[in-house]
Amino acid sequence: MYQYNEQDQNLINARVEQYRDQTRRFLAGEIPDEEFRGLRLMNGLYIQRQAPMLRIAVPYGLMNSVQVRKLADITRKYDKNYAHFTTRTNVQLNWPKLEEVPDILAELAEVQMHAIQTSGNCLRNTTTDHFAGVIPDEIEDPRPWCEMIRQWTTLHPEFAYLPRKFKIAVTGGPEDRAASRVHDIGLHLVKNAAGETGFEVLVGGGLGRTPVIGKVIREFLPQQDLLTYLEAILRVYNLNGRRDNKYKARIKILVNALGIDEFRKLVDAEWEIIRRTGLALTDDYIAKIKGYFEPHPYAADAVDGLSVLENQLEDNADFRAWYERNTREHKVAGYRAVVISLKPHLKPPGDITDVQLDAVADLADTYNFGEIRSTHDQNLVFAHVAAGDLYTLWQSLRDLNLARPNIGTLTDMIVCPGFDFCSLANAHTLGVAEKINEKFDDLDYLYDIGDIKLNMSGCINACAHHHVAHIGILGVDKGGEDFYQITLGGSSREDASLGKIIGKAVPQAEVADTIEKILQVYVENRFEDERFIETVRRIGLDPFKERVYATVN
Amino acid sequence: MPLLINRAVTEDSWLLVDEADFSAHLSEDIVVPYELFAEHSEALLSAEGKLGVRINGDQDLNLLLQHLDKLALIAVEFPAFTDGRGFSFARILRRSGFAGQLRAEGDVTRDRLEYMERCGFDAFAIPADRYSDDITSAFGEIPVHYQGCADDERPIFRQ
Repeated sequence: MYQYNEQDQNLINARVEQYRDQTRRFLAGEIPDEEFRGLRLMNGLYIQRQAPMLRIAVPYGLMNSVQVRKLADITRKYDKNYAHFTTRTNVQLNWPKLEEVPDILAELAEVQMHAIQTSGNCLRNTTTDHFAGVIPDEIEDPRPWCEMIRQWTTLHPEFAYLPRKFKIAVTGGPEDRAASRVHDIGLHLVKNAAGETGFEVLVGGGLGRTPVIGKVIREFLPQQDLLTYLEAILRVYNLNGRRDNKYKARIKILVNALGIDEFRKLVDAEWEIIRRTGLALTDDYIAKIKGYFEPHPYAADAVDGLSVLENQLEDNADFRAWYERNTREHKVAGYRAVVISLKPHLKPPGDITDVQLDAVADLADTYNFGEIRSTHDQNLVFAHVAAGDLYTLWQSLRDLNLARPNIGTLTDMIVCPGFDFCSLANAHTLGVAEKINEKFDDLDYLYDIGDIKLNMSGCINACAHHHVAHIGILGVDKGGEDFYQITLGGSSREDASLGKIIGKAVPQAEVADTIEKILQVYVENRFEDERFIETVRRIGLDPFKERVYATVN
Repeated sequence: MPLLINRAVTEDSWLLVDEADFSAHLSEDIVVPYELFAEHSEALLSAEGKLGVRINGDQDLNLLLQHLDKLALIAVEFPAFTDGRGFSFARILRRSGFAGQLRAEGDVTRDRLEYMERCGFDAFAIPADRYSDDITSAFGEIPVHYQGCADDERPIFRQ
């Protein structure tokens, strides 16, 4: 992974001191509340319902064991012994003290971490595929490009006060595990007819109150033009995005208002001016950054573990269930990518304790070249585990309550913290997630239902991406009571689509039963091997509506 | 209202005029609002004194870009600290060859000075209640720049 040089380190050290001084001046009454709000948000600090919340950046979801141990330590020293992973692959502390945040940042800087631009109306953390670099059908590892984007976005002097927040996602090939089509900019590595590698560029996707699938603005962008093109898009947006209404300020609204062709014209006109400037990437720089993402020293004899693994799979049904649900193919023979479930039974999705963090760091050192990834659906990944190590790794993870074999199933939900923590939320989410977990704890049933994506947001800001879930749940407040609106048919993948509302919102006590009815309709109607989303697309919403809203005789 | 030019407190030598009195000051160094410039550009551009124009994000920068060689000062208004359009105005003006004074006005306070300077501003009109003698320590707080900027166009990989 990328390692800071002296300049990178100097930058984050200076940023810590700058923020420390801003905090000091705020506490001394020298910075008005509203202005400090802008400054602290740009450094990841929210003031929430119960306490401040600090969002720490995990650039493109990649960490090493030293960093994870530091996170564990910070949760012990400054928080309540746990942290929470988010859909931007970042990590949040729910109970830091405003006055102590500069000290937390100083500790993070020791391990090349920070909270720069994890919130606010600026360029946010770039995300990517959590299987980057290990999947067989990838055009190229997207992470070096994410790192180049990270450097360009970090403390960009021109784009710190955008109309609204701005998110970029990059995928290494046609498969989309980064929800790139619902990002302000989605970048897909592609090859053109001449066999050169570049990017397909999408713009104007997004969720929130106005969910929109991104539109293709450029089918092929040569790789050396990446930053000049991004800068052209950002400049057009900064100058033309709406600033009169924060709900109409995202780039998706601008792109829709102008139309993609007119927007493209503006971008191209700007790009023509800056395309050949010093911002054009150099071969040396590209090669240098790629050098940080060379393949790990995989063991040539890892394939020897396959026969042992086969026996272990045969002997232990629990291990086999975990292997089938929670591990994925790796392009190097003898290795698997392992998903560590942060969706245990009856615990908030994405949460992890200090003890688990420390243990995960140790396991990463033993089995995964010291590398840990966070995923956009709030799990962790060990991307390179040798076949012969899987069984012992599974045992360790199981002891840590990190081996629930539910990846890709109904209980692998994305859930925002909701009303319990968030000051924006209208409704609770964690209690409902718990109810769903209680109802659908039977693994055989979950496996029979198969691949399904259920996401739940506690308000229309849609932090949990409910619009692009196969089953989306949105909490709404009706006269002081929590109700839940249900959508079906969304997808955040390469076949991205927005879910449609099936009818009036249901009360909290009925959510789990409603999900059950929806699943019944699926089971009754599915063709063999047909996934939930495919059945919904084939038969439409009516059969689901009829069952859910049927009047009881 | 204290005025910083090139990081030093400086007396303002420019006179701000409006529709009513601009014709009486054509031999002096004056700053005119954008609308006035748009309406009387011919008279203003041929005046004896030096000319400055005040613009904000709602107005058309292209009009100024056509006359950069005749303008000695451009004042960009920040109606609120959250309005970042002025940063892009500065970048565009400098890359288009504007070499006169580029002044940030309005909600211009300490924690944006460094970014403003990097984008090309060299003058800052700071509201009196937000000014302090140590304000210039805001410049250079971050010693490393990944991006090119007005005084050094090279991004980190060309530095």
